[in-house]
Amino acid sequence: MSTIFFRTLIIFITLMVVLRLMGKRQIGEMQPFEFVVTLIIADLACIPMADVAIPLIYGLVAIITLFVLHQLFSLLENKSNLLKFIISGKPSVVIDKNGVNLKELKKNNLDISDLIEALRSQGFFSLDDVHYAIFESNGKLSTLAKENYLSNPPSIPTILINSGKINKTNLLLNGISEEDLKEVLAKRETKIPFVEVMTIDKNNKVYIKIKNKPYFTFNLKESYA
Amino acid sequence: MRKTVISLICAILILVGGEIFESFFVQKQFDEFNTALTTLYLKADEEKISKEDVLAVQKVWILKKRLLHMFIPHTEIKEVDLWLSESVSYAKSGNFEEVLSKIEVLIEMCEQIPNTFKLKPENIL
Repeated sequence: MSTIFFRTLIIFITLMVVLRLMGKRQIGEMQPFEFVVTLIIADLACIPMADVAIPLIYGLVAIITLFVLHQLFSLLENKSNLLKFIISGKPSVVIDKNGVNLKELKKNNLDISDLIEALRSQGFFSLDDVHYAIFESNGKLSTLAKENYLSNPPSIPTILINSGKINKTNLLLNGISEEDLKEVLAKRETKIPFVEVMTIDKNNKVYIKIKNKPYFTFNLKESYA
Repeated sequence: MRKTVISLICAILILVGGEIFESFFVQKQFDEFNTALTTLYLKADEEKISKEDVLAVQKVWILKKRLLHMFIPHTEIKEVDLWLSESVSYAKSGNFEEVLSKIEVLIEMCEQIPNTFKLKPENIL
């Protein structure tokens, strides 16, 4: 019995650590420890149920152990903020007043396309539509929309530069040459490797975030003119 | 909060209580069975063993295994069943050497099976 208890404990802790290291991508509206419980409880219940050679008590002990761990983690989370941070992580501000925070995204094993995807599921199609976007510790995205975002002409943006790397397909789709892009960036006293994010929509509205600088938007056609 | 603490304490008590009961119960069953086997072994060693003696021990084991099934995987219990059944047939034919070797294995199993459920690093990892 105690063997099963400690085995369950080891698996639980390992899964917790792995899940926390994986970042927020793997969790869906659950705290990491809740996700771990959900992940293993089904198997624990099924194995002794289906295999008559295994005493039912094996499954019961493991399930009760998980219950103990779940309650214990809930208690610890409520007791101290440090423990809450260790167990569940903390929310990550991925868009702030300076624009996209690539560092925070990378910390959570996410990239710009994941952020855009999460924003789209919230009804925001441009990075410029929100003041703030926060990945909560349960993996859910919370956003604070800009007041006038609905008045923007509707269009879906595409990524031109992601973490200093050009997306050549999107560049071609938008009819922009690499030279034109370099020229546009040169006008803004920057180069491709320093650009963290650059998107463009069908209205030629460009969203650009340069390393260590606040984001800005401009119209590409006007920029050419 | 209060509900969480109470449920947590109850669950821990169930686990601790269960562990204490299981370790004592399993050990006691195997100790008793081991004593019966040792007596059988001594009889076999003196070549005084009969089929009825082995059947009597088998009867003891059948009673014990009904409860042991709750705590031990059935495959391990089945092993004891097989070795014991073989001893019956060897005792019937008067093959004392074979009976002795079978009982020796059974005694060893009685010592080893409870060990596999004890709180030891090799059992956990």
